[in-house]
Amino acid sequence: MLQMNNVSKVYQTEMVQTHALRDFNLHVNEGEFIAVTGPSGSGKTTFLNIAGMLEPFNEGEYLLDGVDVGRLNDNQRADLRNQKIGFIFQGFNLIPDLNLYENIEVPLRYRGIKANERKRRIEQCLEQVGLASRAKHIPQQLSGGQQQRVAIARALAGEPRFLLADEPTGNLDSLMARQVMELLEQINRDGATIVMVTHDSELARRAPRNIQVVDGQLADFTLYQGAQTIKTASGV
Amino acid sequence: MLEIKPIFNALCRSKVGAVLLLIQIAITTAIVSNAAFIIQDRISYLNQETGYPEQDIFKFNVMTFGTDINLSQQFELDESMLRKMPGVVDAALSSSIPLSGSGSASSFNLKPAPQEGLSVRTAYFFIDDHAINTYGVNLIAGRNFTEDEVLVTNEITQKRTNVTIVTKALLDELYPDGDGLEKIVYFGDLPLKIIGVIGNMKGPWLKDSKPDNLAFIPYIKAASYAQVAVRTKPGQRAAVMKEIENAMLENYSKRVINNIKGLDELKNEYTAQDRLMMRMLIVLITILVLITALGIFGLTLFNISKRTKQIGTRRALGARKSAIVSYFLVENALICSLGLALGVVTAILLGKMLMQYFSVAALPPSYIAVTAIAVFLMSLLAVLAPAKRAANISPSIATRTI
Repeated sequence: MLQMNNVSKVYQTEMVQTHALRDFNLHVNEGEFIAVTGPSGSGKTTFLNIAGMLEPFNEGEYLLDGVDVGRLNDNQRADLRNQKIGFIFQGFNLIPDLNLYENIEVPLRYRGIKANERKRRIEQCLEQVGLASRAKHIPQQLSGGQQQRVAIARALAGEPRFLLADEPTGNLDSLMARQVMELLEQINRDGATIVMVTHDSELARRAPRNIQVVDGQLADFTLYQGAQTIKTASGV
Repeated sequence: MLEIKPIFNALCRSKVGAVLLLIQIAITTAIVSNAAFIIQDRISYLNQETGYPEQDIFKFNVMTFGTDINLSQQFELDESMLRKMPGVVDAALSSSIPLSGSGSASSFNLKPAPQEGLSVRTAYFFIDDHAINTYGVNLIAGRNFTEDEVLVTNEITQKRTNVTIVTKALLDELYPDGDGLEKIVYFGDLPLKIIGVIGNMKGPWLKDSKPDNLAFIPYIKAASYAQVAVRTKPGQRAAVMKEIENAMLENYSKRVINNIKGLDELKNEYTAQDRLMMRMLIVLITILVLITALGIFGLTLFNISKRTKQIGTRRALGARKSAIVSYFLVENALICSLGLALGVVTAILLGKMLMQYFSVAALPPSYIAVTAIAVFLMSLLAVLAPAKRAANISPSIATRTI
């Protein structure tokens, strides 16, 4: 489903070069649910942005569902994002001036789906996240958990095979976080591949596969723990 | 792909900025269309055909203080001297000067006073048989005065003049059936036979409601104050104007020659206020249009900075750059269309008000239509650059905390 080979990303300013990702290698199979953890500044968000084609990378190769992303132009990347990827953001990123129905409709319109089909999917997704009765509400009128469920509904409406979640429970209390997590697990069981960035280790543990990003590279969980041990032992 | 409905719904939910812009567009449309019409009206007023070769005609005033001459005789001497001057085509004493803003007007009646009948107001010049040639106007029917028909006097006399030459406009108003030539009209109780018709010739007042009504009456009343009109050959007016004072004083010195002015100069002085108003209106509508364009530009920039995250999110959800540009264009077009609809109504109302209170002509719909189209295009132009900037917002903004 997702294949990254030696992907590197460098942020260049006048003064410094920051290697956000260094020879990053990852293979994600269809139907997996992966939690990506790592300390802040480790490159988690950069990984997520590159995986979601939100920003370009400098070196290496990235294949999404067999498509070489590095060779696509801006429009092709936008279309591929629209068709294959569902995004769930930490801040929900709902459009405040649109009601729930219209929010979920946004990616469907970009795909050029006909109005009656849009309606069918939106109603189905709202039903799935338990907010069917609130289609005409605007995001402000909902709680954080409800807003995130709308965002999930928006990600699901396009029937993506790949869901990218960036700290999906980061802005939620534990009860709501659990509900959202359960929803994601349900979506995964229904067949979608999910990559979830989080720094909540408890949440990460619920995912069948955990990976860690440290200093822009993929680190084995145990290796990472070992590194921490060494650092602690040396008194750093 | 145009998202008219959701954009409209979103606008309805946060409408303050949009409504302000809408009102601005409406006001701009209303004022610009009316001002453009007034400007156009002024331009055609200023550029109207007066019937005179303005560049070749000039006038001067003669104020005689000497009492040792017979004024009538002196003027005849002056006229014949002027007509012989090199570069001069013809010259004539003229009781008023066209386009100058000062002159005399009276009524021409179909019946002698005090009988009631059709009465038409007209400007008139007391002038001699050289009038047509001096003013370079076009006699389209009938004939000129003969020398015998011109009454020259500086005394009260029983002899009265009995002919007149009128403009076609005046003739048509007096005799709408077109059979006025050779008919009699009454200047007070004085009967005048219309012997000639001039095609086009403006009176002293361009702003008058009847600027085309003018009559020549062959009568020279010699007085200490007189005005003389002179037509020169093309290109020689300046030279003749320079010599005129000396030439006149050489003929007789106890008088003052002043106010030597070209007909075009007189017209410019008379229309100075109109030109000033026209320029001010042009400045006003330019400023207004610029302010509106800046308003649209500014509001779009503000909206973009307010919606940076939203734009990034839209891009992340699959919007192409062109979709972002079209979003802002459609949003602007919606606001603009509503503003224009309101503007058209306001323009019509404003036009009616101007018509009622300032007797401006009715605003033709074409002015509103052209203004509306121009404002619409200007608004699209104003929004294009900020919209392109918005389209370049990186989709990665969606995952960053702002």
